[in-house]
Amino acid sequence: MSERNTVWLRPPWGEGEPKEFDPRPDVLVPLLVAGWSQCEPPEVTEDVHD
Amino acid sequence: MSTTRLQEVLICFGKQKQTDIATANTGSQMWRFGKLNAALANPKLNTENDAEEFGKGHEFPTQSFQTSWDVSGTLEKYLGAEIAAWAMAFGLGKVVKSGAAPNFTYTCTPLMPANGDAAELPYFSFVEQIRPGAGVVLDRMAVGCVIESWTITLGSGPGRTNSRIAIEFAGSGKFTEPSGIVMPAATLEKLLPSASLALSIDGVDYVSNKNIVSLETGWKNNVRMDAGFYPGSGFQTAGDATSGAIRGRLEFGNRQGTLRFTARFESGSTELTKLKNQTTGTAVISLTYDANNSLEITWHKVSFATAEVGETDGIVTVAVECLPMFDATNGIVSAVAKCGVDSICQ
Repeated sequence: MSERNTVWLRPPWGEGEPKEFDPRPDVLVPLLVAGWSQCEPPEVTEDVHD
Repeated sequence: MSTTRLQEVLICFGKQKQTDIATANTGSQMWRFGKLNAALANPKLNTENDAEEFGKGHEFPTQSFQTSWDVSGTLEKYLGAEIAAWAMAFGLGKVVKSGAAPNFTYTCTPLMPANGDAAELPYFSFVEQIRPGAGVVLDRMAVGCVIESWTITLGSGPGRTNSRIAIEFAGSGKFTEPSGIVMPAATLEKLLPSASLALSIDGVDYVSNKNIVSLETGWKNNVRMDAGFYPGSGFQTAGDATSGAIRGRLEFGNRQGTLRFTARFESGSTELTKLKNQTTGTAVISLTYDANNSLEITWHKVSFATAEVGETDGIVTVAVECLPMFDATNGIVSAVAKCGVDSICQ
């Protein structure tokens, strides 16, 4: 779950990058049936410039 | 000598899932509830003997052996938002948690191995205690349990008994005695009464037309108990081959959903026509405590398997058995459970 009340799901079979979704049932249920699973949000790395 | 009465029994179990079948929940991962049924989750030792072996000179057994362990139990409760969320998450197996206190939302669906999901259900530990400590009567923990089935029944009437849930669970056979768990404080439950029902089945709103009499819906995992034993699945006491085998996995078998209801039958009622035409539609069952505590179960495609006209308390009614089917987009069933408790099945 993210601070914006979205959820992150990883694709079926763990292949591909996680994506962020609106946690509405009409959005989540078809994804879960298709094999997407909840995962932690990807770590954000900040660009540091001198 | 004091008598031990069953009202003293305390139970708690994993709110969070175990990391694997053999690693018990810690006390901080557990929550405590009351229950309605008296049955205990007794570990059962299966034994065998050498009666059939030749070379003894007779047909009688001379030795017995610890073969394996079983643990199973049933939890019957008035239906509340917290236990509903737990049963949906652990019983269906796949869950997405969203929201924040006091409104956590658990969107639950059955696991789909064909699309990469596990066939093993999430595991939890189950603790029973009667006077734990110096005067202990009972203090044990079944490790590696899964939900075998849940059944929700809704009836007509004002009392709590008209909205109930029965949960059957089965364990790996592994148990710990004493449990080592300090019983947490009782969970404050938000009941989901029958009077809060909203119900739409195949296009008919059975609450607004005031026709619903009773309803039962459920899910059964048909866990493959025997398949839990495999070469290397382990023993009750690690490294002790005489202590009886335990299961190393609990996988669901051929799962089944059920939905049946009884409604008043009157002129214009469509149940018999839908049975004949095998009309399909969704069934949505909602129960609400408040905006933050509710349960909504959706069977995404049902037809009527049977519809029989009869009577209930002298009123003509129709008893309908639905056939839940798999919808290509939404699957067979989903549950959206809201409650104020974090980390359920996480």
